[in-house]
Amino acid sequence: MGEAEKTFIGGLHEKLTEDKVIDESQLDPDFAKEITKYGGKDVMTCLQCGNCTGVCPISLRIDYKTRIIMKYCQFGLRKYTLGTQWVCATCYRCYEHCPADINPAEVMIALRHIAVREGNIPPFVKVAATNLVMYGQSVKPDVEIEKIRKELGLADVHSKDPEFKAVLREIRMIVQATKYDKLIGIDTEGKA
Amino acid sequence: MTSSDSQNEKNGKDGPAKPRVGVFVCHCGSNIAGVVDCGKVREAAEKIPGVVVAKENKYTCSDLGQEEIVKAIKENRVDRVVVASCSPRLHEPTFRACIQRAGLNPYLLHMVNIREQCSWVHAHEKEKATEKASALVRMGASKASRLEPLEAREVPVEPSTLVIGGGVSGIQAALDLANMGFKVHLVESKPSIGGVMAQLDKTFPTGDCAICILAPKMVELSRHPNITLLSYSEVEEVKGFIGAYEVKIRRKARYVDEAKCVGCGVCAEVCPVKVKNEFDEGFGQRKAIYVPFPQAVPLKYTVDKDSCLHFKTGKCQLCVKACMNNAIDHKMTDQVVTIKVGTIIVATGFETYVPKKNGVYKYWEYENVITALELERLLNASGPTGGHLTRPSDGQVPKRVAFIQCVGSRNKKIGNNYCSRVCCMYAMKNAQIIKEHYPDTDIAVYYNDIRAFGKGFEELYHRVREEYRVEFIRGRPAKLTQNKATKSVMIRAEETLLNKITEREFDLVVLSTGLIPSEGTKRISKTLGLTVSPDGFLAEAHPKLRPVDTAMDGIYLAGCCQAPKDIPDSVAQAKAAASSAAQPMAMKKVRIEPLTVTIDEEVCVGCGLCVELCPYGAPELVQSEKGGMRARVIEALCHGCGTCAASCPQKAITAKQFTDEQISSEIISALAPATKGHHGKKDAEAGV
Repeated sequence: MGEAEKTFIGGLHEKLTEDKVIDESQLDPDFAKEITKYGGKDVMTCLQCGNCTGVCPISLRIDYKTRIIMKYCQFGLRKYTLGTQWVCATCYRCYEHCPADINPAEVMIALRHIAVREGNIPPFVKVAATNLVMYGQSVKPDVEIEKIRKELGLADVHSKDPEFKAVLREIRMIVQATKYDKLIGIDTEGKA
Repeated sequence: MTSSDSQNEKNGKDGPAKPRVGVFVCHCGSNIAGVVDCGKVREAAEKIPGVVVAKENKYTCSDLGQEEIVKAIKENRVDRVVVASCSPRLHEPTFRACIQRAGLNPYLLHMVNIREQCSWVHAHEKEKATEKASALVRMGASKASRLEPLEAREVPVEPSTLVIGGGVSGIQAALDLANMGFKVHLVESKPSIGGVMAQLDKTFPTGDCAICILAPKMVELSRHPNITLLSYSEVEEVKGFIGAYEVKIRRKARYVDEAKCVGCGVCAEVCPVKVKNEFDEGFGQRKAIYVPFPQAVPLKYTVDKDSCLHFKTGKCQLCVKACMNNAIDHKMTDQVVTIKVGTIIVATGFETYVPKKNGVYKYWEYENVITALELERLLNASGPTGGHLTRPSDGQVPKRVAFIQCVGSRNKKIGNNYCSRVCCMYAMKNAQIIKEHYPDTDIAVYYNDIRAFGKGFEELYHRVREEYRVEFIRGRPAKLTQNKATKSVMIRAEETLLNKITEREFDLVVLSTGLIPSEGTKRISKTLGLTVSPDGFLAEAHPKLRPVDTAMDGIYLAGCCQAPKDIPDSVAQAKAAASSAAQPMAMKKVRIEPLTVTIDEEVCVGCGLCVELCPYGAPELVQSEKGGMRARVIEALCHGCGTCAASCPQKAITAKQFTDEQISSEIISALAPATKGHHGKKDAEAGV
């Protein structure tokens, strides 16, 4: 019997347990309000027409559809939105087309704020934030890039400028004062 | 409040007459009593100076409640009545009639709104709500004791109607009134009546041919002895009031004598000028002298001045030579006629939304993207293609047709938030017609939500899905691209029910454009001073109980000037408007509310501010006997809104029932010590 069940369910076993019925415990009715708190417009006005998905350059390429994120937000299905908000390129094309006058891109940004505050910080965000504190730019200076810049006849990156130290100090001050470093978990006291 | 206080106030302010006020507090079931402690309100009312009796009742508006008022008035010799209940908009007429039965002048009533303005809005603050209700009653009693009796006037009503707009609504309203025996003048700005319905191919959900069911009505109208048809005319000015409107109508020059023209069409045959036919949405052609369509009523030709060769060069006149009845006269000028009517029905209709240039749907850029009204003409047997569906780019029959819904409706970006109510159904109806003509056509409808709410609508939805296999894709198209070689159009849209992006190619794309208020509707709202809803359509007096009345007495709405609606609803509303308009005309007289303003000629300096501000055109400046100008109010026009009274720099204007003295007394009693009060008292000390 055990063997038969295994064969029957096969590789679908994990998927089946994941997609179980959504019950009330998963719904957060205040989620829409939380999104507006972090700068997004009210997702409840979304009519689910799918125009945003159709114009989204990301939705075309991956299994991520702007409209369905809006639906998750309406229901307050927090865990379904986790991770998806980071792939948005914030090109604002969805905003341009939305007949309900919502700005899905800004909803994505609000979702990022919420995720970070809940401690769901993807590694690349941590890396970019650390780079900002360390070098004053989110991309780490790199020998290869410098070589390409030179070939293209571009100037050195400004972080190499001797006067840039003062700017860097200011960036760190802001980061500390706003407790951004604590939030993201970067150590500004470390190497400078 | 002590009795000596009340005694002082009584003697000090009310003068020798000492009105005897009766207060009636209504529970309105639990609507008021569920929040406000009505017993306390009554007790407090009993202590108000001048109040001789205070009672409470479960439903004051009921027979029982009204009888109690009558009884209390007679037993206590009450001569001023305060009813503390709902909004006066609801039951003021009820209680006025009630106190009249008890022998009082009906205008000696003051209603205090303790429901909409108290219990309903303060449901969570019961104590404070009770306090507020008591204060409102105190104010009301104070005002009531200063009310003066007023007499309503009656004015005669001219038994004739002006119907503005000759679409199906206007036609129906005119016919109904004419059949009741009233004279009707119907004004239509276009050369023929018929409106948009005349352009349609078939009607949903039954598939009746639009012109086949409309044309008999049009002919009946033109032959009706009680109807004067003023086609190719526009309303220029409306003066007066219910019962006696004076209307100036511009009869635009047709350059064809309507009395002589027999509609033979010889003139059009010889006319050398060909232009796009508006009636065919620009697909077909007409001559410079034309009738818009074969079934036009009146069947009288019209010279289009902008394209006529004679008006451009001074020559030609081929039509003049051809006409056997000498009906054509290029020297004809506009005529302004004045008519008198008792009532007005506005039926100025709608226009369809025109997609923007460089918009997502590429209406102006791609040949094979057309609007639904254009499709109607292409499907119509008397249309430019004789009913054969061909696509504009190459005249081929399209094999794949897409409908895009909600174009210009339900879109906050362009400010048209409303649903146009007809697009779902006309798209399905047209899909069915195409499938009947060309069964092999693939048809897809891109929709957001399908609204099939009317009688037989859901059945049509099922029919096109099941019988005709029309595909429904739930998603708003995001991008349209044209195949340069074939001129076919690729539509990219999310099929939201699949959560997948789809790309499909179609030979013809039809935009289901929504309905917007017509230019005529916008113009007439200004001419008549009608209120406009946020969506731009004309506002009815009450969305549920007075759906065809306007805020102006004697002016009624029919059809799509009020909101988008389908033909059955338009006809129903037209019949309702006719019924409303018939009431004052059948009674031959109408009561005019005496709540108007009076102007003290001694104080008026004739500055004219009131004339400028009045939304109803009631005050006018006249030469005074003592020299100089003075304002005078035409009472029948005055609605008693008080705008003039509030703005008069000389305080020469008094609004009856809202005199300065009455309002001040209300304010003073509002600030007077509350019966229970703490902060009320403090405020009163500080304020008075």
